[in-house]
Amino acid sequence: MRSRGWIPLVLLAALIVAVGAFTAVRQDAFLTQYNINNLLLATMPLALVAIGQTNALLVGGFDVSVAALITMCVVTASFTLKPDETTLSLFLGAIAIVGVGAATGVFNATLIRILRLPSIIATLGTLSILEGASLLLRNAPEGEINSSVIDALNTSIGFMPVAFVGVVLLVVLADLWLYRTRTGMAVRAVGLDETSGRRLGISTGVVIFLAFVVCSVMASIAGFYSAAEVQIGSPIIGDYALTSIAAAVLGGASLAGGRGSFVGTLLAALFLSLINNVLPLFQQPAEYAQMTIGVLILLALVLYQAPELIGRLRTGWRGVGRLPTGEGEAPAA
Amino acid sequence: MSSPGPETPVVLSLRGVSKAFGAVQAVRDVSFDCRGGEIHALVGENGSGKSTLLGMASGFLAPDDGELEIDGHRRRRGSPAEGRRLGLGIAYQTYSHLLDLSVAENLYLAVPAKDRPPFARMAKWAAATLAEYGVDLDASARVGALSLAQRQFLEVVKALLPRPKVLLLDEPTTALGPQEVQQLHALVHERSRAGVGIVYVSHRLPEVLEIADRISVLRDGVKQGTFAAAGMTEDALVAHMIGRPLQQAFPQRDGDGRVPEVLLDVTGLRGDRFGPVDLKVEKGEILGVAGAEGNGQAQLLRALAGVERASAGRAACDGASLDARSPLGALRQGVVLLSGDRMQESLFPVLSVRSNTTIQVLRRLAPMGFLNRRRERRTVDDMAGRLRIRMASVEQPVQSLSGGNQQKVSLTRPFLRGDVKLILADEPTQGVDVGARFDIYEALRAKADEGVALVVKSSDPLELAGLCDRVVVMSRGVIVDEIPGHELGEQRIVEAIVGGRAAKVEA
Repeated sequence: MRSRGWIPLVLLAALIVAVGAFTAVRQDAFLTQYNINNLLLATMPLALVAIGQTNALLVGGFDVSVAALITMCVVTASFTLKPDETTLSLFLGAIAIVGVGAATGVFNATLIRILRLPSIIATLGTLSILEGASLLLRNAPEGEINSSVIDALNTSIGFMPVAFVGVVLLVVLADLWLYRTRTGMAVRAVGLDETSGRRLGISTGVVIFLAFVVCSVMASIAGFYSAAEVQIGSPIIGDYALTSIAAAVLGGASLAGGRGSFVGTLLAALFLSLINNVLPLFQQPAEYAQMTIGVLILLALVLYQAPELIGRLRTGWRGVGRLPTGEGEAPAA
Repeated sequence: MSSPGPETPVVLSLRGVSKAFGAVQAVRDVSFDCRGGEIHALVGENGSGKSTLLGMASGFLAPDDGELEIDGHRRRRGSPAEGRRLGLGIAYQTYSHLLDLSVAENLYLAVPAKDRPPFARMAKWAAATLAEYGVDLDASARVGALSLAQRQFLEVVKALLPRPKVLLLDEPTTALGPQEVQQLHALVHERSRAGVGIVYVSHRLPEVLEIADRISVLRDGVKQGTFAAAGMTEDALVAHMIGRPLQQAFPQRDGDGRVPEVLLDVTGLRGDRFGPVDLKVEKGEILGVAGAEGNGQAQLLRALAGVERASAGRAACDGASLDARSPLGALRQGVVLLSGDRMQESLFPVLSVRSNTTIQVLRRLAPMGFLNRRRERRTVDDMAGRLRIRMASVEQPVQSLSGGNQQKVSLTRPFLRGDVKLILADEPTQGVDVGARFDIYEALRAKADEGVALVVKSSDPLELAGLCDRVVVMSRGVIVDEIPGHELGEQRIVEAIVGGRAAKVEA
C-alpha cells in the first residue's frame, strides 16, 4: 500500500510504452488503426476476467473455474445468441449467459463459505464440471454466433473500442472504491485478516461470498468478448485461469489477499495482450509469449514482495514486536 | 473507587451460559453481570473459561445454552456487529488490528456508521479521536510498525469508538510496563466515572485488586463466586482460582549431595543485545536469569542454542567446544531450547499431542523404519501421565490445549531424548496457569536431579526465587549481579533488577 502500491502501475505503464515504442519504430504494421483496435479488443476478455479474479484475490482466494466458465458461456452463446433471432430473444439469451455466471458464482461461494472448502480446491471441482458440461453441449466447435451481437460488442470509434473505454472507467472507479471508501477498505480488511475484520463488525462471510459471485459474473461478461472473438460455439477456449491470476498479480495483487489494484490488473492484461500481439509481427513463435509471461510473473512476485521479504529478514532476528520497555532499547555498546 | 450502588442499571448480564468445544466443557452454567459505572474483574487460570465467556458476551461465540442481555436487550446468539450495535465494546487480548493498514484506517473501520466522518476527513478525525482519549499515536503510522504497548492502547480506543455501555478488556496490560498500566487504568477509571460498565479480565492480581470494584473468579469453566474487591487479598483470590492454598508451590531443592562439576562454561560471549558474558553452570543446577524485559536475556539463551549467532567469545558444553552455529549443532551436543514463543518455535500447532511429543525420537519408535504405533502410544501416555498433561485425547491438536498444557507438551521432548545435557528455558511458565506451573517446575527439577544443567530465563522474580539454585541478573546485556542460593528471595531479585548495580551500568 501507500507508495509501494504504485510500483506495479508505473512499471507496467513503462513496459507497455517501451514495448510499444520499440515495435512501432521497427514494424509499420503495429501502429495502425486496425492493429491497435485488434489489440484492445483482444485484451477485453482477459481484462474482464482478470478484474473478476482480482476480487477473489483481494479476499484471499483464487478462482480457477473462470477458464471453464468462459468456455461454458461461449458454448451457451452458441445456443442463445444464434443468427436470425429477434432482439428480445437475443436480450434474454444474453441474460442467460450472465445467469450462468451468477449461478456458477453462487455455487463456488457456497462451497467456499458455507462448506468451508479451500477456494482453489472448490473452484478446481467447478472447473472440471463446467469443462465436461461444455463438451457435452458442443463436442466440436459449431453453432455460429449472431453477427449483429458481435458487431455491437466490437463497436469502435476510430481505433478505440467503446467497451474498452467502459472498462477503463470501471477500473478507475473500482480502485477509488477500493482505496477511498469504507466498504473498499472492509474488503481489503477481510483479505488481510479475516478474524480481525469480523471482530471489527465486518460481515466477512457476505464479503467473501459476493467477491466470488462478482468474479464469476465478470468471467461470464468476458465470455461475451471471447464469443465475439471466436464467433462459434467452441468448447476449447484458452486458459484464462492462470493468465487472469497472472494479470492480477502483475497488477499488484497479493496472493495472500488484501492487496491489489484494478487499474494495475487492466494494465497487466493490456501488457500480456501486447506481447501476444507483437511477437507475430517479428515473426517470432507465439510460444515465446507464454514463456515470457511465466518469467514476468516470477519477477513480479519477487520484486513486489521484496520490501516485505527484506523487512521480515531484518526484523526477524531482532525479535520484532517485543516490548520496548524502558531500558533495554539498545544493548551496551 | 466507591462501589456503585445497586440502583445503577445492569449493562451486561449473562444468565446460565454454557459452551463446549468438542469434548471440552469450556464454560458451565455461568451467570455474570456488570452494572453501569462499575469495574468488575474476571479472574481465573488459563483455560478456566474467561476468554470463552468474553467471546460469548461479545457475540463472537454462540453459547450452547443460557441467555445474555446487553443494556437490557436480550439475545440468544448474535455477531460481534450486533453486540457493538447494542452497546458493547471489546478490546481483545490478541487485538483486532489490520497490521497492513494505518492507525487512522483501523479506527475508521472500527467506528459505527453514524459517527463515521467522510473519507476525506479520516486523517484529521483519527488524530482528534486519539487526542480525545489521551493516546499519543501517529495516526498515519502502519499498525504493524507500532510496539505491542501502542497496539494495546489502539485496541482500547477502537473498543471505545462505538461509545459502549459496557467495555470488555481482555488481559489489557500483558504488553504494558508499569507506567503504561497507570495510564491505561486512568483511562479506564475515567470511562467508568462516565457511567460505562467495565469488565476487566487479567492475570495480574495486584492490578485487579487495585482497580476492581467486584471480582468474579472462574475455575474449570465454573464460577467460584463474586466478591467485593475491598475485602479481598491476593492469597484468597489464588485459593479460589486454584482450589487449594498456594503453599509448597515449588519443588524441594535437593542439591546438597551434588558433586560440583561444571557443564556449561561461557567466556566473553557477545551477540546481538548482550555481551560480554561469563557464565558457569554445574550439572544438576538450575540457574536463573533475571532482569528487566529486553536486556539481552532471551538473546543470550538463543545464542547458546544456536538460534541466533553469537559474534564473539567461547562456550563449552561438557568439556567440548559448543557448536552454536545452528540449532542442529547445539542439539547434537545435548543443548535444548524451550522457546518463549511456543506456538511459533516449539510446537506444530495443528498436529496432535502424540505427534508433537514423539517427533524428535521417531527413529527410536520405528525399529524397521516403520512407526510402532503401540510403542509410540505407550511412550506418549507415559509422558502425559508424568507431566500431568490435561487433554481430551492424545490425538487432540496442541493448539486447542491451554497454555500450560502446551508447555508441558514441549517439555516432553527433553524428557524423551536421552542425551540432553543442558536445557535453556525461556519463560517456561509464560501464559501458564498456576496449577500447571507447579507441574512444570517439578519437571524441570526432575531433570536437574538427573544431572542436567538448566538455565531458566524468567521475568517473574518469585518464580526464580522458588525454582532456582542461583540467579544472575542482567542489565544492558551484561551480568550485573549474582545471587547465591542462600540469599535467594523475591525481594532480593527485584532489588537487584531495579537496584544500584543495574543502574550503574546504565550510566
